[in-house]
Order: sequence, then C-alpha cells, then structure tokens
Amino acid sequence: MSFLSPWLLALATAAAVPLLLHLLRRRTGLPLSFPAVRYLRRAEKEHRREMRMRNLLLMALRVLAVIALALAAARPLGPGFGTGHPPTAFALVLDNSMSTARVSASHVVLDQLREGALAALAEAGSGDRVWLVTADALVAGGSRADVVAALKRVEPLAGAGQLPAAVARAANLVRSAGLGARQVAIVTDAQASGWRMSAGDLGDVPVSVWAPVIGDVANHAVRRAAPSPAHLTPRGRVEGTVSGPGAINWRVELGPRTVARGTAKEGEAIDVPVAPPERGWTAGWIKVDPDELRGDDARAFATWVGDAPRLTVDAEAGPFAAGAVAALVEARRAERGGGVQVTSADALRQRPALIFAPRDPARLGLANRALERAGVPWRLGAPERSGSTVRSLDPRLEGVRVTRRYAITPLAAAETLATAGGAAWVVGGDGYVLVASALDTTDTELPLAPAFAPWLGALLGERLAADAGPVSEVAPSAVLRAPVGATGLELADGRILPVVGARSIAPARPGVSFWRRGDKRVGAVVVNPESDESDLAALEPAMLAARLGSRAAVTADVAQWQHRAWTAGQRPLMGPFLVLALLLLVAELLVARGDLAALVRRAEPAPVRRAA
Amino acid sequence: MDANRPDLLDPASLAALGRLEVVARWVVDGFLTGLHRSPRKGFSVEFAEHRPYQPGDDLRYLDWKILARSDRWVIKQYEEETNLRAMLLLDVSPSMAWSGSEARLTKLAWAEASVAALSLLLLKQRDAVGFIRFDDAVRTVLPPRARTAQWRRVLAELGSAGVGTDTALAAAIKRAAGLVTRPGLFVILSDLLMDPDEVTSAVRTLRAVGHDIVVLHVMDPGERDLAEVGDAKFTDPESGDALAARGSDVRDAYHATVEVAIGEWRERLAGAGAFYEVVSTDAPFGTALRRAFAVRQRLP
Repeated sequence: MSFLSPWLLALATAAAVPLLLHLLRRRTGLPLSFPAVRYLRRAEKEHRREMRMRNLLLMALRVLAVIALALAAARPLGPGFGTGHPPTAFALVLDNSMSTARVSASHVVLDQLREGALAALAEAGSGDRVWLVTADALVAGGSRADVVAALKRVEPLAGAGQLPAAVARAANLVRSAGLGARQVAIVTDAQASGWRMSAGDLGDVPVSVWAPVIGDVANHAVRRAAPSPAHLTPRGRVEGTVSGPGAINWRVELGPRTVARGTAKEGEAIDVPVAPPERGWTAGWIKVDPDELRGDDARAFATWVGDAPRLTVDAEAGPFAAGAVAALVEARRAERGGGVQVTSADALRQRPALIFAPRDPARLGLANRALERAGVPWRLGAPERSGSTVRSLDPRLEGVRVTRRYAITPLAAAETLATAGGAAWVVGGDGYVLVASALDTTDTELPLAPAFAPWLGALLGERLAADAGPVSEVAPSAVLRAPVGATGLELADGRILPVVGARSIAPARPGVSFWRRGDKRVGAVVVNPESDESDLAALEPAMLAARLGSRAAVTADVAQWQHRAWTAGQRPLMGPFLVLALLLLVAELLVARGDLAALVRRAEPAPVRRAA
Repeated sequence: MDANRPDLLDPASLAALGRLEVVARWVVDGFLTGLHRSPRKGFSVEFAEHRPYQPGDDLRYLDWKILARSDRWVIKQYEEETNLRAMLLLDVSPSMAWSGSEARLTKLAWAEASVAALSLLLLKQRDAVGFIRFDDAVRTVLPPRARTAQWRRVLAELGSAGVGTDTALAAAIKRAAGLVTRPGLFVILSDLLMDPDEVTSAVRTLRAVGHDIVVLHVMDPGERDLAEVGDAKFTDPESGDALAARGSDVRDAYHATVEVAIGEWRERLAGAGAFYEVVSTDAPFGTALRRAFAVRQRLP
C-alpha cells in the first residue's frame, strides 16, 4: 500500500489518546449523591469481566477508528475494491523506433501500438498530467487532447532511437509533476536491440509495459556499406554486407550511377571495385529489394574522390617511410614528386608534411628551428625513454608500443590524434601531422605494425594531400561535432543548414550530408540506422522487466496493461477507509450505549424452563 | 387524564398544588370516586354466606325464611363489624430523601403523600390506623386508632427526614407487631436499601401470626436506570459509602443488577407471604392506594 499524502499518517498518533485515556483514566469525578451505591458496587463486582471486556472493546474500536481516519486522510492506494484512479502523473513512452515501421499481419506495428496507447490515454482525467515521450526522447505535453493529437502525428523513426533515455526522461517528468500517483506506461515491440541498455535507476516510479506479440517477418537488410579506403584516389572498393534469409539481391549506387548488382547470402561480403570519374565528395548506397521493413533496405556511404597524392620522401625519414611510400606508389595510391613531404623534423622545409621526430637527439635544436620556419606550432622537448601504449580514436594506431618519445609542446590550439603515456604523441593541424617519435624500431613499433602502410596512405590522401575533411557515420538525429571552420551542413535534398556553435543535429532520415565551408565541401556526415536495428527478435518479458527496474511489469494483454497503467494495481482506498472508520464509530456508539449488548441478548435463544 | 381523579395525576405536579393534607384528601376523594363506579359496589357488605346449623349456634342468626320455605336449618354469617387494624411503616432514612431529578418528588415526599392518603382512606372506612416512622431506629410510633383525629396525628409526624445511618426495618416491624394483637394489615413504604435477610425474617414472623403485609418498594427512576454521567464519585447519603465509576461504563451492568435485586426482593417477600410491589416516584399516588386496597379487600 502506498499513500498520496503520507505525512498525514502522523494523525495516527492520535490513536494514542484513547489508549492513554484507557490506561491513565482516573475514575474520580464530581461527587454525586446516590443512595443505591450498594447496587453499583454489586454491579461492578458481578460484571467485572463483562465491563472490562466492554472497556477493552471500546478502546479498540476508538483506536481503530482513529487509525482508519488517519489512513483515509493519507489517501492510501492499494489493491482492493476502490474505484477510479488518483490524480496521476502519466508519461506514455511510445516506441516508434525503425523496427515498429514493419508490416506484420497486414498492419504496421506502430499503428497497433498507437491504438493501445490511445485507449490508455482515454482514461486520463482532468486531474491527471500526461506526456508523450517518443523513442527519440522527445516530449509532447499539455492537455489530454494535445497529447492525443501528438500521438496521432507520430511517425516511425529512421533508427533505433534512445528508448532507455526516453524512459528515464519519462520517469523524471512524472517525478517532477508533484502528484502523488506516478506512472510510466510503455508501448513497445520489445525489440531486443532497442532494450539492450538498462533505463537506469527509476526510483519508485512504477513502470507498466505493453509488449504485444508480433509475428515474425523475413527481413532483408543492408548491414554495412563503406568505401575502402575512405577516400578514393581515385580507385578503391565499396564493401558491404547484407542479412536476411535466402539469396538477397543487392546493388551499389555511387553518385548518379548504379555501379554493380549482385546476389549475396547473409554473411557473404559485397566487394565492388570502383574508380569513379567524379572528383570531390560523393554519396553512394548499397540497396536490397524492398520488404516488410523498408528502413533498412538501403545504407548510405560517402567518399571523397581525388587524384593520387604526390609525395616526396626525405632520406632523414628513414627506410620504413621510404618502404611504405614505395608500396603506396606501387598500389597507385600515390605518385612521387612534390606534394607532401614525408620527413624528419630537422629536414622539414615546407608544409604539407608528415613529420617524424629526429632519430638523433642532438638535432633537436635544428628540428625546432625547422618547425618554426615551416609554421608548425609545436616544439620538441627532451626525449623520454619509457615504454607506453598508444591511445587513439584511429584503430590503426591503437595499442602501438612506444619506447622513446619526445615531449612536444603546442604554441597554439592544435588537434591531438594519439597519445602515448598520457602525453600527446601524434598531433595534426593545417597542413602537417607531427609524430613525437622517430620512425624507427628503437623508438616505436609503428613501422612494424601491419596497419602502418594503410595509416600512412589514409593520412597522406585524406588529410595532408587533399585536406578533404572527415567523414562520420552516425545514427539519425545524433549530435554532431562540426569540423573547425564549417559554416553549414548541406542536406541530401540540397538545403544548407547553417552551423551555429560547435554542435549540430544529424538529419533524421538516412542519407549523406556534407559539411560546407563557404562553397567548399569539407567533410561528410553519413546517416544510417543502427545496424542491429534490423534484428527484429523480441526480448523476453522477464528480461525486459529487468531492464526497467524492480517496479516494472510487462504484459502482452492490452486490457491488463491499461488497467495497471493507471492504477499500478492500486486503487484509491480513502473511501473504504472512511466507511470503515464510520462503521467503527457506529459500533463504538452502540457498545457505549449498550445497544449492541441488547441486540446480542435479543438474538440469544430464550432459556428453556425445566419441568418441576 | 380525568381532572376529577387526582389520584391519577403526576405526583410532583399534584404535590405542588397544596399542602400534604389537602393533596391527600384530593387523592382519596378521587380514588373513592373511581371506586364507586366499580361494579364491585364497595366493600362494606354485611351479609357473607350461609352454613348448616350446628348445635350450639346462636338461634338469632338462624335464617327463618329458608327454614319456612324449605325446612332447612342454615345460619346466616355476617362480615365482622369490627374495623381492620392497619399499620403504616414509613422509611425516613436519609436515602429516602433523594430524587434523581428536580422534576420529581423525593422518595420520602412521595411516600409521605402516599401514607397521608392511605391513612385517610382507611380511616374513612372506619379502620384503625397506626403509624411508625423509622430510620436506623424507630422514630415515631402512633398506635392504631379509628378516630378521625388520628389522621391529624399522622400528618403531624410527617415532613421531617431521618438522620440515621442505617435502615432498621426489621426493628420497626417488630415494634409494629406489638401494637396489633389480632390479624391486621401492615403497609411498608421503603426503598429497601438494606439487608434482605433480617427483613424477610421479620415479615415471615408477622405473616405467621396472620397479618397481611404489603411492601411498597419506593424507587426513583434514576435508581433503576443510571443517568448518563461521566466519571463521578457516587456517595451514599445514608452510609457515606462511596464508589468512583464512569456512568456510561457501568450503566448496563447496574441496570441488570437492580433488576436482579428487585427479583430477589420479590422472591423473598413472596416466599414470606407478603405482597411486594415496586412503585416509582413518578407514578401517581393512586398506585399505592390501589395496591393496599387490593389486599384490604381480601381481608375478612
């Protein structure tokens, strides 16, 4: 049992009054002349047990009546025969993630969920506060009519959304409403991938979930689509995977053309060599034939297409740099002559350049003077010899061992691409990338790493030679960090959204958008649904309840859910407690007046006279 | 209510209209008015019955007419011409000077008015009336007399409460028994707040010598049903005995106990051969007269 006004339970302490009166009663009152004292004394003597029982009964009735009144004043809620529901803060979480757009049994799942939600909202009264929270954690509030209208406008998302975050937000809404009764009601298809994360600590907010049983559908999906390398110079490949039963027809579109078609089974790789004639940023798709869930039938990718970068490798850079560049040239991903200088810091002449620390510490001063001349805002310090591991967002650098590194100090704001031992190790800026170790096995294992040559190629082609800008793949409506200097985001339909501040919101629909700096594209944003949103398997009810805390109840029965959604299995019990208190007071009155005893006596059978 | 029947009026209202003497006259007159309308036609019938003649009978009482008609020898028997000797015993102990309400007479006032009316009624019938007042001792003794002046003497002894700390009814009965040598009528008016054993024994002794006894148990309604009072210290004005109790707590038990006590008195006194009646101080004075008269009618 819970209470809407639990502080009023303090009134129950008044129950001590009749108890104290009973225990401490002083039976000395005003003197009263009464000649039949002998009958009084005899009555007390002969009816002592009866009178004691009566006094105890009166005391119990009074104490219980006070307690019942206190309980009624505290506005209790509990299972029982009460009616209606108390004023409730009611947040309805509607799962409109991409998976609810699928068609099952000739109906869109979201429409089915919406019908149940509308029926639940129909029970809202004028004393309730209601909100609608969608899977992307957006909130619609106001009157019941406002929320119903918002509910009818809800469309499926292009991605998974953030259901746990939506539930947490709903819980915060009902907690902050100031109403005693709170409820988070969830309608969901219970897709396992959508509920992988826990909703966190929801406190004492009850959660009721309606997860209807939805029939299985054969879903074909594009699970991955990406160019390799990310920047085509100008050749490369488009790779991808699909999932689903049977043979799946696919096609790859790059720019305005379909560049390849084929059939693949789940788990088979799609690998299409491409050499597009365009230059600059280009959007592409891998698509499969439409099925019951359209949202994952296409997956976008973006690539920058440009000529192979031209390189100059200085001898001071060491043999490993020379070898890697030779491999790039041989693979036609680079050409020799001019362009980017791959060098040691002490031999640096110009930017753009990939700069390594000098192998000989004695050339430190020379190196710093060269950095200054080339306008690189970093200076090398004393070398430190201690084993450390590289940490970087670039997986090709992650985990590389470093045995000697120079301390490097920025002279201006700069970007750190990797750290070693907690200190900056690879830093980049306008036309340069500086590595704080020499490209030598005595300083680092980087030149021996398998990913060294690809890393070098990507660095030269994507950052130093063309400065094409970054590409990032995000979920719909994700928060984006705009590249430095970006002025707008060019959407797939050609509109350009101005960039205000460092953060922007990704488009809600899949596709490719481009960062703009003036008229120039300086990066790309690829919006795709989360890959696992194509897994339509539902979570077991017990597992789903576990994700939502100890006060969650999951059912597939919409009527049961609607009942529990408004009452949490609890009804207002103030009325029954008031009736109980009234009955107790009536009983107390009857006992005090002796009417109850008279009734009992009348109900007893008349004594049978024995014959003489 | 018939305005010509003061014996049926509310005793408190009637007592407020005049002195005890006047009230008693109204009550008796009213009572006799009602009596004359009765089909029994009074109580002073001289002829009683016939019985067969036996040798030695006085020939003056031989019914000559029957002898002439049917040759049967029968003797006419008559009611005894000598009047009844009645003793009225009034309890004037302090417990009698109590009323549960200002709207009612005290038990003593009610009993005194009843004594006045009863003695007047008996004297009008030419019965001899004696009177005894008692509390813890016999305070007043008037031997039975049939003269009209006797009523004045009775009235003169009324109007003052006793001061004793007990009720010596048995002693009063014994004293009264010594004043009436042949079978007579004893009317006792008391609240009977006393030990029943001694009283029962005295009544039984009276009955053994042929007296008829009427015991009128005078009770205030407040003694039968305890009033709604809170915590109080109930004190007996007679003995000083005190008991602290809450009226609402003991009310039911008290009522049951009083009914049991009345039943015990009724059983004991009936067993001793006495007529017992509980009379309430809110009952008309005629109640006592009727009770006593009913017994008087049965006497020879």
